Amino acid sequence: MQPPPREPILEFHDVTVAYGRRPVLWNIDLAIDEPCLFGIIGPNGAGKSTLLKAALGLVPLAGGTVRFFGQPFAEVRRRVGYVPQRETVDWDFPVSVSDVVLMGTYARLGWFRRPGPREREIARESLARVGLADVAGRQIGKLSGGQQQRVFLARALAQQADVYVLDEPMAGVDARSQDLIFGVLSELRKAGRLVVVVHHDLRTAAQWFDRVALIDMRLVAAGPTAAVLTPQNLERTYAGRLDLLDELGRAVEERGRTS
Amino acid sequence: MTDPAGIEPLFAISHNTLVVACGVAAVGCGAGVIGCFGVLRKRALVGDAAAHATLVGVALAFLATGRRDLPVLLVGGFLSGLAALGVLVLLRVFTRTREDAATAIVLSVSFGLGITLVSGITARGIPGGAGLEQFLLGHTAALTTADAILLAAVSAAAVLLLVLSLKEATLVAFDSSFAAATGWPVAIMDYFLVALVAVMVVVGLPAAGAVLVTALVVIPPVAARQWTDRVPTMLLLSGVFGLASALFGVAVSAVVPRLATGPLVVLAAAFIFAVSFVAAPERGWWARHRQRLAAEEK
Repeated sequence: MQPPPREPILEFHDVTVAYGRRPVLWNIDLAIDEPCLFGIIGPNGAGKSTLLKAALGLVPLAGGTVRFFGQPFAEVRRRVGYVPQRETVDWDFPVSVSDVVLMGTYARLGWFRRPGPREREIARESLARVGLADVAGRQIGKLSGGQQQRVFLARALAQQADVYVLDEPMAGVDARSQDLIFGVLSELRKAGRLVVVVHHDLRTAAQWFDRVALIDMRLVAAGPTAAVLTPQNLERTYAGRLDLLDELGRAVEERGRTS
Repeated sequence: MTDPAGIEPLFAISHNTLVVACGVAAVGCGAGVIGCFGVLRKRALVGDAAAHATLVGVALAFLATGRRDLPVLLVGGFLSGLAALGVLVLLRVFTRTREDAATAIVLSVSFGLGITLVSGITARGIPGGAGLEQFLLGHTAALTTADAILLAAVSAAAVLLLVLSLKEATLVAFDSSFAAATGWPVAIMDYFLVALVAVMVVVGLPAAGAVLVTALVVIPPVAARQWTDRVPTMLLLSGVFGLASALFGVAVSAVVPRLATGPLVVLAAAFIFAVSFVAAPERGWWARHRQRLAAEEK
């Protein structure tokens, strides 16, 4: 007896996205079959965040399909937790830390039902996991950038999902928060969840992710981190941009010698 | 008039005046509550475009029916307000005009049209048309008891709808992309919230007039935000501020003849705002000044 063919957890098939007439992603083919820590890496403007937004139906596809567990996203939204970029919201908004985390339970609650003791318990646990139990009552603007990012992560945890999608969770985040966030993501992976992270720092990418995809408007390479982050692939992804860095480095060196 | 005891009463408050005062106070309260979400969603000026456009519908409703019946005029105002918001969306989508510019265009054009219609009606001396310009600056003295009850009932219904969907409205106003990704119909919620603002702008017309009514849905929420860090408390405070402002406007315009209500309401709201700006704990100017001094001493 053959086992039935397993659907990939997340699959992009020939995805093209355009803003107006300007294409930002071309023919992306990418399948993630196993739970892992998956990094989407590339230079600024490469379309990394757009790829996530396309997966979540937040930007329209000009072509192609995205499937979670073999189904369109709309059918399985409950199984997908989302951490948007931190700058997309107004942190002066009059809500407390626990109010924001409770928002992760709203989809399950449905229309008009208010969060009850069960939801509050979920929110409390999620906040404790990101180390913010003691600031639950505080207005969100009074937190540091790293703490704010952890609030967003806690809200995603409160969604109790099978797949977690994070958009630049380490941007503008202090070292302690980075370690904490990465620790939580590792726990999720150990618990059999898929964690997809848009990330721009190559150094930490090599340490953290099991698998990565290199993207620069097109998919350059995807697979196990060590096999993908090769000088040749990086060269192709960052094209002229790494050259530029090298030249800058050389210029600084020369200036150091002549003076 | 002298009463049997021989003391002259300072003001004779009729039953009607009392009911009108209560009705307009309810409108002020409702406008304060509903306006919070316009401010929180950073759409404060959208209500202003709708407000200025109401005049067109008021004039057309009068021309169609030939009577100055408040409910009919307000329905007309509401429809033209919604039409203006529709034009706003179309302008943005099809001409790629930026939101601020589109708002300014819709606001001024629809107001120009409204003024032309109203002054045309007045100039031709159509019977009953002379009172229409009261919708420009607000004039509560002309309201009947039935009018006031209607205004209060509509305001109460709007507040009830918002309170029922408070969880959803807060989510969408705070983080629309998370709301969309988790399956909430963000566009529909946005239309719903804007429609509620349009309703409050319309029932606020008799109290503040088309030009100033937007102040009722903007100033109390901004003042309330100074005092609290919670949405529900902000709604409550904003409602109280709106109520107080409206009551002040009604009272003074009832006592001083021929004084329009709208400017008085706005001035009262502005006073509350000024006090909030200076004296609110934590966010107020005085509190922050003290904090700065304390920080410098350390």
